[in-house]
Amino acid sequence: MPESWSPFSYIVINLARFIRPNEITFSGVNSTFPMLACLLAKRAYDWDFIYINVAGGVDPQPSHIPLSSSDPVLAEGSASIFANEDFYDLCTRGRMDLSFLGAAQIDAQGNANNSVIGDWHRPKVRLPGGGGGAVMMPTARRACTWRTEHSRRTFVEKLDFCTSAGGFHGVVTPIAVFVKRDGRLALQSWHPESRLEEVRERTGFSFDATGARPTEPPTSGELRALAQLDPDGRFERDAAVRLR
Amino acid sequence: MRSGFKAANKRVSLKVLASMIPDGASIALGGSFLHRGPFALVRELIRQGKRNLELIKQSPGYDIDILCRAGVLSRARAGIVAMEGNFGLAPWYRKAIESGQVELEEHACASLTAGLRAAAFGVPFQPCGGLHGSALPELNGWKRLDDPYGSGESVWVIPPIRPDFAILHANEVDAAGNVRIAGTYHWDRIMSRAAGSVLVVAERMVDGEVFRQAPEATVVPYFMVQAMAIVPRGAWPGSCWPDYAVDYPAVERYLEPGDDALAQHLAEAPEAQEAAHA
Repeated sequence: MPESWSPFSYIVINLARFIRPNEITFSGVNSTFPMLACLLAKRAYDWDFIYINVAGGVDPQPSHIPLSSSDPVLAEGSASIFANEDFYDLCTRGRMDLSFLGAAQIDAQGNANNSVIGDWHRPKVRLPGGGGGAVMMPTARRACTWRTEHSRRTFVEKLDFCTSAGGFHGVVTPIAVFVKRDGRLALQSWHPESRLEEVRERTGFSFDATGARPTEPPTSGELRALAQLDPDGRFERDAAVRLR
Repeated sequence: MRSGFKAANKRVSLKVLASMIPDGASIALGGSFLHRGPFALVRELIRQGKRNLELIKQSPGYDIDILCRAGVLSRARAGIVAMEGNFGLAPWYRKAIESGQVELEEHACASLTAGLRAAAFGVPFQPCGGLHGSALPELNGWKRLDDPYGSGESVWVIPPIRPDFAILHANEVDAAGNVRIAGTYHWDRIMSRAAGSVLVVAERMVDGEVFRQAPEATVVPYFMVQAMAIVPRGAWPGSCWPDYAVDYPAVERYLEPGDDALAQHLAEAPEAQEAAHA
């Protein structure tokens, strides 16, 4: 019997599946899922990649997995400190292969709002702000994001504010994986316990689903690596991700 | 202002260090989110009733939140603001921006760095990569220049950001004011080069010989530092690698609503405990 997904493992493992051998991959602040995805990929796959993070770590070997994705423990075991200015400059000169970036709202082109709900000058909700996205999204070779909620509030026809343009290469939610194709987000696969119709109902823009099918189940190696990272299930409980 | 700061011993008390910052000053704060921020000094600004300060930081969190909560700030230039971990948004910062109590200049982290670089490099503006298609340049009135060397590319240019003070939390200083940071220095280095003056809170003071044994480990040389205070655990409730980790229960207590919670939090801080025992 194939292994099955939880909503939590679905997001972490499908983010990890965007990582490719020998590439430079970055995880930043406020990014628990990408942090776990990068650490999982180091354990689960039979190939290696160059992992850098916002704590200055380069292929770190943290003694424990921190709550904060910018915790200095993420530089433990690192042979160098590659500090904030360094990884931004690396990205703008075109040598960041994959950067994970947060987003509150995403449109059909994969552009993102991380600034505000409502009018910028009269905000209903002030969000974290420009952060890494406005500079990294247009300059990283690929940028990927995640949402723990899949709804028409998140996937919108029109952003309240365009913080970051250029578009995500990939997006993972509890029910779906999107990749960018011909300038728009296209459905790559859906959670086997969801359906294509449900993804359409919960997405505020139309998308191409040519070739999309249920997501391949997690491998035992992926699940074993995730269990090592979250042995007592604390991250899974804190994240409280639900399918619906 | 003098070009450099030379004094045999620049150590002052935390109270005196905070008193050097006048109302209305702009302050760049070191560290990132809950990590190695100059939080003891931030709290002392509150105790001294400072007003109309401007905070400059790529990734503030606890610091900007508590300064908003106490009514110390009137303006902020920031890239990304959050408490991080399981705490999410910074609640009092959010209220301060939504109500208009604090005016925000929203940046990308790298555009704020570009402004600091313009100041540090002594040039009228600094190109910043990326930003294409973002609404932030128009919001902030930034200009876009065509490459004068004819590549056909264009780039957004950011005006200088020159904080009155860079306030850093460090692991070690010596009596002259040399500064050492363990682990990443985040944005502290460029802040120190852009600011008019550098003020430091350190975990401990060590002999100058320690610095001379490994000069490449010094992030800020003494002549850029105006004054410093020694406050063990001064980055509480945040972390200071490798000396201590984030005190998450203390952050949770801080996030409880009400003036009492804030007063208790200020009283619980290491610098207040030390003063009480002295």
